[in-house]
Amino acid sequence: MAKLRRDRVQGLTPVAVASVRSPDAPSGRGRAHTPPSAHHDLDWSILMARAQDGDRDAYRLLLEEITPYVRALAARRHHDPGDVEDVVQDVLLTVHEIRHAYDPTRPFGPWLVAIANRRVVDRLRRLGRTRSRETVLTPEHETFPVVQANLHDEGSDRAALRRAVEGLAPRQREAIRLLKLQEKSLKEAAAETGMSVAALKVATHRALDNLKKMFSRRGDT
Amino acid sequence: MTTTPELISVLAANAAPVRRLRHPMVRAAGWLLLAALVVVLLAVGQGLRSDLADRLEQPVFVISMTASLSTGVLAAVAAFLVGLPDRSRLWGLLPVPTFALWVSTIGYGCLTSWIGLGPDGVSLNETGRCLATLLLTSVPLSIVMLVMLRHAAPLYPRSVAVIGSLAVAAITASVLSLVHDLDATAMILAWNIGTTALMVGTGGVLGRLVFAWVRRSSLRW
Repeated sequence: MAKLRRDRVQGLTPVAVASVRSPDAPSGRGRAHTPPSAHHDLDWSILMARAQDGDRDAYRLLLEEITPYVRALAARRHHDPGDVEDVVQDVLLTVHEIRHAYDPTRPFGPWLVAIANRRVVDRLRRLGRTRSRETVLTPEHETFPVVQANLHDEGSDRAALRRAVEGLAPRQREAIRLLKLQEKSLKEAAAETGMSVAALKVATHRALDNLKKMFSRRGDT
Repeated sequence: MTTTPELISVLAANAAPVRRLRHPMVRAAGWLLLAALVVVLLAVGQGLRSDLADRLEQPVFVISMTASLSTGVLAAVAAFLVGLPDRSRLWGLLPVPTFALWVSTIGYGCLTSWIGLGPDGVSLNETGRCLATLLLTSVPLSIVMLVMLRHAAPLYPRSVAVIGSLAVAAITASVLSLVHDLDATAMILAWNIGTTALMVGTGGVLGRLVFAWVRRSSLRW
């Protein structure tokens, strides 16, 4: 039976194959939008019939010939080259798995196009599901939750603050250093500097005002 | 990560000869022959319903039986056609007209037999035998159809499972009508529509999973 069918395939003319080609094949402009030519279709039918009989060389040739065609079909719906190649491999695997379901008396093109379209849609659905469940990680996602990851930012803030304090007037700088950075009491600071408590309070207040102005100016620029 | 040329080499090296699928009509006929055998065996084993001769004179019963059997036959043909990549999926609509006719006769039966429904209309024993008939018909037919259509698994598992389940359900409902005296409204509804909905629904929901399982099992064999 199988041999008889194969003979019938080899007896088909390109015209006969073209005349029975299914309208399911893609249509439109360009190589990717057109079905394989009648000549290709007949060749592929014969190659597939031989592959079904166990001819490995014919099968390899067929897979190599259909790969660019399938890649063009996949590239119509997928833009990432990785996705396109995944679809191509999915199609090749499906062709291999159900190659016994191909009837050599029918054109090969529509059979292949139907499988390719199915795999393209499957891949689009899978990508859609993945995108709806997952969020792409940005550097902020990686650094904010982990304290150690933010050491670099903390260090730069500290250095900026130190530079700002250095830029203050000497009395204000001293007041900030003793009261805020070293966290001494007003009495201790007064004893150390010889300034009155009231003068220290005024100097600290003015220093903080100046620091605020410095950092707000930096934030504006 | 396997490249496409590597994949082609692997597939070509594993291109063992395969046995081509027969024409879908031939395969559908094979499955329907099995269904006929199951019906005959059940009719012999459990005996036909006692009032079958009377019922066959009623047009509604005859139309209902004809419609359910036709639905079974047409759904089986449609399932074998839709499972192939290069056949139009519109074949799936083939059993719709007879299915609509079948459902409408069930509805008519409900209205006419509503008054005749008594509290002891259907006994538990009859229900149990009905369930046995249902399982004896649907389980083997479902398993055989699953195995015969496993090549559809990578392509259209859900639609093929739904149409195949409709075929099994319609044949099962026909057998139930032939073997059991079930004229009460509730039972007709439960067995005919309920069974159909259950089988078709299960086929739709589990189609992909069951097909994938059958496919893996067949690859191991």
